[in-house]
Amino acid sequence: MMPPRTHLDGDWFGRGIPGNVRLGSDVYLDSSYGFDGVSESMHGGVSIGDASGAYDRAAFVVGPRGQVAVGRYTVLNGCYLVCEDRITIGDHCLLAWGAVITDVWTGASSSDTRRAVLRDAARSDDRSLGAGDDARPVTIGDNVWIGFDSVVMPGTVIGRGAVVSSRSVVSGDIPAYSVVVGNPGRVIRTLDPDDTDVAQRQAFSEHLRPARG
Amino acid sequence: MSQHPRFHPLVPDSLIPGDWFPGRTPRNIVVGENCVIDSSFCFKHFFSTEPVGLRLGRDITLWRTSLAAEMHGVIEIGDGSYIANASLVCSVGITIGARVMIAGGVTIADADFHPLEPAARLADTIALSPRGDRTHRPGMQTAPVVIGDDVWIGWNATVLKGVHIGADVVIEPGSVVTRDVPVGTRVAGNPARPVAE
Repeated sequence: MMPPRTHLDGDWFGRGIPGNVRLGSDVYLDSSYGFDGVSESMHGGVSIGDASGAYDRAAFVVGPRGQVAVGRYTVLNGCYLVCEDRITIGDHCLLAWGAVITDVWTGASSSDTRRAVLRDAARSDDRSLGAGDDARPVTIGDNVWIGFDSVVMPGTVIGRGAVVSSRSVVSGDIPAYSVVVGNPGRVIRTLDPDDTDVAQRQAFSEHLRPARG
Repeated sequence: MSQHPRFHPLVPDSLIPGDWFPGRTPRNIVVGENCVIDSSFCFKHFFSTEPVGLRLGRDITLWRTSLAAEMHGVIEIGDGSYIANASLVCSVGITIGARVMIAGGVTIADADFHPLEPAARLADTIALSPRGDRTHRPGMQTAPVVIGDDVWIGWNATVLKGVHIGADVVIEPGSVVTRDVPVGTRVAGNPARPVAE
């Protein structure tokens, strides 16, 4: 059985969050509006790790078999996640407004595919598009920054510490600590991998709010 | 079936059941069978006063899509098309064929929104201001957009005024389409250019 929908305090959007959305501790969500595109299916869903947040227009469009996993301390600031298979986002990531992360092309391969996808959608109650073509999982490593209005295409794997600049379109393998710009995205430089365990421990010791007494 | 369906039949001049946005669907729209929408919020910027400002075929899905039409704007969408999280900004005419898929973050505009020339642009800021007369804005460049059947427009793509897109075209994500696209081609980039298959 699906767990019941969760309702956020003071949520302006009345529908609440589907039971297949699992939240860690201290997760912040602006509204349930961004979860209205999540298919209510036990085979799929969304998990968001501790102390991560979904802000402003961040939205999830997740099909019945789509699984989105977001790590800890990650900022989903108005980004758009479209998932029919699997999208994995690491810890300490920054995803800006208008950025699209998708693991499906849904219908891009041919007009025959589009016709079939649209015919099925028009007959279904939830107008779900399904995968249509082969979905290809997307993996975004820890501490990755995706700039505004970028598109991360199906099958993309982004290594730790990388930066995708705004309005870029990226696909394939993006090496760790690289900076990618443009459409199609190209690596223009590589950053110093200074986000060591020591740096991370120091960051936690300096940047968490003091515990209340 | 969910207790709170995401989609509702689109009916002219009516309230949508359970709508979060306090609006009605416009009177001057013509809707074919089996067309659905999520909220009247899609019509927040629909100001067309044409006899028919929006004409829909059948089996159309509209989700979180801004149907922004100015006074003389007319938007037409063909059978089976699916538009999610996109913006149609229409001053004169946007015509979309049958079985067109339009992905999230797409903007289709048939006008420049403001005049190019500095003096006219300055005048526009006054006409648009809280003190201004919005009914007498300076003229701007407009040209209808026409999109053929079986077209796919990917995430965050932009289609600009006057563009005619042929049937069976794929616009790759992030493209900015400034010129006509011939039947059966695939384009990408800014400005969008044909790509090898």
